[in-house]
Amino acid sequence: MKVIDIKDVHKIYDETEIAVKAVDGVTLSFDEAEFAAIVGPSGSGKTTLLNLIGGLDMPTSGEIIIDGTNLSKLKSSQLIDFRLNNIGFVFQAYNLIPVLTAKENVEFIMNLQKWSRQERDERTFELLKAVGLSERANSRPPKMSGGQQQRVAVARALASRPKFVLADEPTANLDSKSATTLLEIMEKLNHGEKITFIFSTHDARVVKMAHRVITLEDGKVVSDDVRE
Amino acid sequence: MIWSISWKNVWRNKIRSLVVVFAVMVGIISGVMIVAIMEGWVKQRLHDAIYNEVSHIQVHNTEYLKNEEIHLTVNDTTEMRRAIEALPGLKGWLKRTRMVAMVNTPWANTGVFVYGIDPEKEKQVTEIYKKIVPEGGEYLDKTKPGNILISDKTAEVLKLKQYIIKEEVMNQLKFENVPAIVLSRLDSLRDVRFRSPKEFREALKTELTKKELDSYGLKIIDKALDYRIRNKIQITITDVTGTPVQSTFRVCGIYKTTNGSFDQASVFVNSGELASLYDASTILTHEIAILLTDIENVDSVKGKLKGISVDNTVSTWKEMAPDAAMMNDYMIMYYIIFIGIVMFALAFGIINTMMMTILERTRELGMLMAIGMNRKRIFSMIMLETIFLTLVGAVAGMISGWILVEVLGNTGIHFSAWGEGFAAIGFAAIVYPVITPSFFVIITVMVILTAIISSIWPARKALKLNPIESLRTE
Repeated sequence: MKVIDIKDVHKIYDETEIAVKAVDGVTLSFDEAEFAAIVGPSGSGKTTLLNLIGGLDMPTSGEIIIDGTNLSKLKSSQLIDFRLNNIGFVFQAYNLIPVLTAKENVEFIMNLQKWSRQERDERTFELLKAVGLSERANSRPPKMSGGQQQRVAVARALASRPKFVLADEPTANLDSKSATTLLEIMEKLNHGEKITFIFSTHDARVVKMAHRVITLEDGKVVSDDVRE
Repeated sequence: MIWSISWKNVWRNKIRSLVVVFAVMVGIISGVMIVAIMEGWVKQRLHDAIYNEVSHIQVHNTEYLKNEEIHLTVNDTTEMRRAIEALPGLKGWLKRTRMVAMVNTPWANTGVFVYGIDPEKEKQVTEIYKKIVPEGGEYLDKTKPGNILISDKTAEVLKLKQYIIKEEVMNQLKFENVPAIVLSRLDSLRDVRFRSPKEFREALKTELTKKELDSYGLKIIDKALDYRIRNKIQITITDVTGTPVQSTFRVCGIYKTTNGSFDQASVFVNSGELASLYDASTILTHEIAILLTDIENVDSVKGKLKGISVDNTVSTWKEMAPDAAMMNDYMIMYYIIFIGIVMFALAFGIINTMMMTILERTRELGMLMAIGMNRKRIFSMIMLETIFLTLVGAVAGMISGWILVEVLGNTGIHFSAWGEGFAAIGFAAIVYPVITPSFFVIITVMVILTAIISSIWPARKALKLNPIESLRTE
């Protein structure tokens, strides 16, 4: 089943005298439970494409349709609600809320969605267990390692059972062991939760584990390899 | 959840938050103290105006209020007396004779109102009997004829107040640890009579150094004060036929209230003795004073009494002491203006702190917007943070201010150096700060309003952030 449908999307930045084509006529689609990596050199448009898919930025032309909803047609406030209810985000710099514990960080989106306490507790316990951090539920991010923080970030992204998770360079700040652990956890959750994962990455380990690898160059898709 | 995260955010940078909390606390303490002092003064002025000067209600002949002539007495009917005695919550009432008079001693003279009173009834309505100064003789006694009660101020004007450094004064000063060097300097002033405080102070200035005068001047003046009790005073009034008549009274006591103007204008004698002077067959009543148990009833009492005689005017304390009434009525407005100024100044500090907070948390705010926290929630979070930050300081300030007021409310704050100036406008030189619970409600509301207003700019700044750009910041 098609979750994301990208049709001839262009993104041109023309704030300076020279217009920059960050994304140039990309047409792609992602199905449910895909585990896909977007790769390419710096400046190839990976992060811009991810921002467009995530509704954080609007295309100059073209359409992005998520589960039947055309993002270009949504108002700013509707987009925020759409992101809350449909998309999970994992950032390169973890971006957890430092004053909240791991458990509270995971619960955060469920709180915004007004889940009941019991539902929140059950889901949080389930996810922290899945990322191997049940014991650190009450630790605050500054007391945790980078790998542990990123695992909490993955649990947070999955908490509200989004349609897909966008992860921008999730392993860039992690050591080899932490990165491998994180990728294994994400792959397991991808299978278990049937949630689509899309990464932008330079990391060969991520590319190796991805089921589909999309390569961008100068904002264009130059290859789209699906692995069996 | 927003409440919890906002509270936690306040304590992210403890030192910075504590600086703001401390600033708010100091602002609120000063606000509480100044308002408590003002309230203390107003309450004292109100109490003194009612219990020394005008009571709750007074009845006069309407014409007497325009022209204080001896024959313009209150229409004192049986119906009026019955109506007063039947008043609910009546604490006491009395009749007075009140006449314009000239009083003189061999050294000076002045114009006053001489009140003919029944001293015992007066005690039920006024507190003048409690205001006899130390070493100032005694209150009027009906059984001791020929006496007059005058004020400290009148004594000063009539030069019945003198300053003499006698042997016993030197001994008292020695006992109170005034250094021997200062006492030796005072030797040259020993047994010299000074008839005014100004004259005495000038003499002290020539003998003592400035430092000695600052340290011991008030004590020396206080101990050297000597009232000429039992001295004769001549009173001149106009009798019922319009003829000036005179009589001599002896000073039995000196009183002093907080209102210098009232003191200077009021002397008291037994009403019967005054009646024999103005030669009327009965004691004339120019004034009826009524004291109630509850100040709130004055308007209804006025309503009951004013219809009894068209010749009389019934006045409430508010009409007779409009200064005290105005201060009492506008006190809340003063509070709001004063605390408003304090909060306005604090708002700049609060805004600055919150702007820094937003700047520091740009990436986090970008992340919150990205993952789906809407504008309303972000605005609420920042507003709550500002409210918590301000409220913590305000609560600490209110508690500290309240403790300070409780302590100073018992000990009093002495403004003795400006005592005469205060007395001239009816205020005491010692103020007992008081604070009403409603004031804390006003502060709390104003603090919350200040926090809400102060949060608008930082919150708007946060809402204008672009999630993508914010996420890129270091």
